[in-house]
Amino acid sequence: MKMLNQEEEADAEVTWEDQQNINAFSRLNMKLQNLEEAYEEKKKEKEYLDDLSSELELADEDELIKIQPFQSVFEIDKLTMYASHQFRYRIGDAFVSLPLSTCQERIEEEQSNLSDELGQVSSRIGDITEKMNQLKVILYKKFGNSINLER
Amino acid sequence: MAQVESNARGIPKAPFVDKVEEYTTVGEVETTLRKFQEMISKYKYMEIHLLQRKKSLETKIPEIKKTLEMVQFLISNQDSSTPLETHYELNDTLWAKAKINPSKTKTVNLWLGANVMLEYSTAEAKDLLQSKLDSAKTSLEQVDEDLEFLRDQITTMEVNTARVYNFDVKLRRKQKESGAGKE
Repeated sequence: MKMLNQEEEADAEVTWEDQQNINAFSRLNMKLQNLEEAYEEKKKEKEYLDDLSSELELADEDELIKIQPFQSVFEIDKLTMYASHQFRYRIGDAFVSLPLSTCQERIEEEQSNLSDELGQVSSRIGDITEKMNQLKVILYKKFGNSINLER
Repeated sequence: MAQVESNARGIPKAPFVDKVEEYTTVGEVETTLRKFQEMISKYKYMEIHLLQRKKSLETKIPEIKKTLEMVQFLISNQDSSTPLETHYELNDTLWAKAKINPSKTKTVNLWLGANVMLEYSTAEAKDLLQSKLDSAKTSLEQVDEDLEFLRDQITTMEVNTARVYNFDVKLRRKQKESGAGKE
């Protein structure tokens, strides 16, 4: 905080319109913060899912190798392990054993849902930032140094 | 006093000070500021209350979603004859295995709270959970709306405070100057 010099003090009267602009700015700023938090959260979740799906793709390749015939006893052991390969997939509060393909379907669905949501959030962030910039121009023009609209 | 405007949920609107010199007079600045301060703290109190509600809704919604997901999963598996192997949480960090036959699972028990659990058919459970999810989402929207409204009122009051304060500073400065001029 710094005190303004007397010369810097703008003697602008605050009209009802100005007040509404200030309010709108403050409200948008609050919204923006909430949305940015939501965006980060969703992005993290998306990253987890991406990791998971690439991990499962590797599992898929493993399975293909094991199906080749005439392999050592050790490999056949693994084959039985992979043939019945079920993944424990979390639904609600429980884990359900599901075959690989079903897991992948469910993950894909969740991924596309999340991508949609991420797109929506980021477009809203864009809208809000644009509106805030417009308001900034109006408010700085009127109040100059008497108002601070930066974070 | 004239009827104070308020929003849909009865939160009163903050008064806007049109012309400071008309709103307050020399001796009354302090009283006015105190009144403003009081109003701001009332709004802030409401804000805290609403933020708490928002938080509880934000934990409630994913819980309903989770349950709904499970019910939907059971419904989608209703026609399969292969038993589903599940691990469910018996207690913290302790998981037990259960095999369920999806084609025979026609009902689920939903925990309604207050030590009550009710049995529903899977379709009914789905409808109930969906409606609960929708209503939780609507209340979250309303809470967000109210929070935005409150933010507006708080900003208005803060700007009012600043303006009355500045008016007072200017007034004192003028008084001082004219006082110095006389001597």
